[in-house]
Amino acid sequence: MGLRFDLLLFTIALLSVPVLSDLILSRVDRRIDLTSQVVRTTSTLKVENAGSDLVSEVLLAFPDSQAKHLAYLSASSTEGKGKAKGSAVSFPVEIVHPKGMPPALTFYSVSLPKGLGKGDSLTLDVLVVFKGALQPFPEKITQADIQLVVFYETAYYLSPYAVKVQSLSVKLPDARIESFTKIENTKIHGSEIKYGPYENLPPFSYSPIVVHFEANQPFAIAQELVREIEISHWGNVQVTEHYNLVHGGAQSKGEFSRLDFQARPHVRGASAIRHLVAKLPPRVHSIYYRDEIGNISTSNLWGDHKKTEMVIEPRYPMFGGWRTAFTIGYSLPLQDFLFQSDGKRYVNISFGSPVNEVVIDTLIVKVVLPEGSADISVSAPFPVKQGQETKFSHLDLVGRPVVVLEKTNVVPEHNQHFQVYYKFSSLSMLTEPLMLISGFFFLFVTCIVYMHADLSISKSSPSYLAKLQWDEVQAAVQQVRNIINRCLMIHDKLEASLRDLSRTGDVQACKSARKAFDGLLKDLSKDLKPLLASLQTSPQAAQILPKVEELVGKERDLQERMMAKHSTVVDSYEKKSSGREIENRVALQQQKITALRQEVDDLLDLIDEI
Amino acid sequence: MAPKPIASPVPDAWYPSLSVFMLAIGLFVTASFFIYEATSSRRNRSLTKELITGAVASVFLGFGSLFLLLASGVYV
Repeated sequence: MGLRFDLLLFTIALLSVPVLSDLILSRVDRRIDLTSQVVRTTSTLKVENAGSDLVSEVLLAFPDSQAKHLAYLSASSTEGKGKAKGSAVSFPVEIVHPKGMPPALTFYSVSLPKGLGKGDSLTLDVLVVFKGALQPFPEKITQADIQLVVFYETAYYLSPYAVKVQSLSVKLPDARIESFTKIENTKIHGSEIKYGPYENLPPFSYSPIVVHFEANQPFAIAQELVREIEISHWGNVQVTEHYNLVHGGAQSKGEFSRLDFQARPHVRGASAIRHLVAKLPPRVHSIYYRDEIGNISTSNLWGDHKKTEMVIEPRYPMFGGWRTAFTIGYSLPLQDFLFQSDGKRYVNISFGSPVNEVVIDTLIVKVVLPEGSADISVSAPFPVKQGQETKFSHLDLVGRPVVVLEKTNVVPEHNQHFQVYYKFSSLSMLTEPLMLISGFFFLFVTCIVYMHADLSISKSSPSYLAKLQWDEVQAAVQQVRNIINRCLMIHDKLEASLRDLSRTGDVQACKSARKAFDGLLKDLSKDLKPLLASLQTSPQAAQILPKVEELVGKERDLQERMMAKHSTVVDSYEKKSSGREIENRVALQQQKITALRQEVDDLLDLIDEI
Repeated sequence: MAPKPIASPVPDAWYPSLSVFMLAIGLFVTASFFIYEATSSRRNRSLTKELITGAVASVFLGFGSLFLLLASGVYV
């Protein structure tokens, strides 16, 4: 009651203040919505210019006791009337301190860009949202009690201008109304209380009213909410939200009985927070809900192509004054939130929490941009505190730039889109794969260096020298093997040319092929000579040398027989012998060739093993 | 100019298969690299061949592991 008395006193003081301008409010309709924990006041003001000067601003007055709860204020006007209503135009609003005004009032000025000429009128829609304006009374209740709250307001519209006609309606939740102030023209209609109409009231008229009613809706208040929005150009927007939630209603006293709560949840624990609904964007995926000790399994998710809804339950029902902390996270497709315009990229994403029932004391939004972003600027629909920091994440060299936006007293009306503009070159996306590639390449280079490096300490010890020689022998043997293998391949090709001959009968082509292969074989045997010589001089090769020499000998033998067979077949063709005759003539040779080939292969395997 | 949505250069749905294929190829080339290292003798080992095999293997392994990270939800 003390508050009411103060206000009355200062109302009397106000009446002596001179009228500010020639504006008058010809009609004021106010609707106050008390059905949730935030107080939404929608006022329709019909402003008339009764003076002769052009007026470009309209003042809105709030007593300081209300102004400290004010979280959101917007003023707009719809052009046209009835069915021809155009879109709403919103006007800029700022806090002002006009001179000669009483000190206990806070003023907001609505600027009219076009101004209001003599005799003109304008209909202004003002939406004001107060946070924490409902005070629980009694302040402490037990589990079985219902939650009652009080709300203070003025029945007359507090304005620096004279008001001709006005009315006020207060919408309450569908529950008990404990008491409300009755003045003249007060009507109650269901859960709606109507004050007015009142006519011809001077500026700064004030008539305090108090409404005391039952409000069992949860008072979920996030004392701090940190939203981290991480952009990855590889196709993902990762949102992580850390909530620090408290039930801001009447404090719970006495003990809590889980049994009573389970048995009759709507009587024993009517004001408890049971669940919260998060309205997430469509096409959201990889959603989680956890706290410090792990996943919280009491959540439900469903969605369609327009939206996704997640119902999350805290680990325990929350009573007045109880608190909890949890984290939700989800991934969004990049193309829904990242756009390109005029050479700049911008993120367009909502500012507030997806949980609609929650009001936030301090909201910190961090937008983590990819490494290499530059020229960062923010465009928000309301003033926010801006900062920048750097975050190190996976595969970062210099860190990712982070835009930090901070705002206190956030209500669901602040859940609007904001934009972060930045410049980014698509080539910067290649840094991450290049880092991985260079990492792997470094591994390979290390292996190569290790295999090539000579790590022995004593360069003159006999064992080291022996090893060097053995390496040389090995290299030579390997080369010999390579040459023999190539010879064998040429033999196969000779056979193939014979088969071609029998198919096409083209003797000339066969002869020229033979000539080419002869040359090749000669070159190969020339290459073989120095290798054999080096093997013969090396003492280390003593063991392997006989085998190698045998191999070379056999191969030469094989080669001669092969040539002989080839010549025979070609000759027979030139003499136009029959197929059977040729076969008979080469049968013996063929047998020997096969045997030799087998021996050569065996020797190659044997050398391989040594 | 109207705002144009920006999407990933590679569709998200391809990430798992891309990572499997690139890692398979990468590991195959790596295997051939190490077989070459182990079997060829020090004298007639060619540095260019080693470097080329290593480079090819690391390109495939690098992109393969990037796509593996992306497919498993670690958006770098």
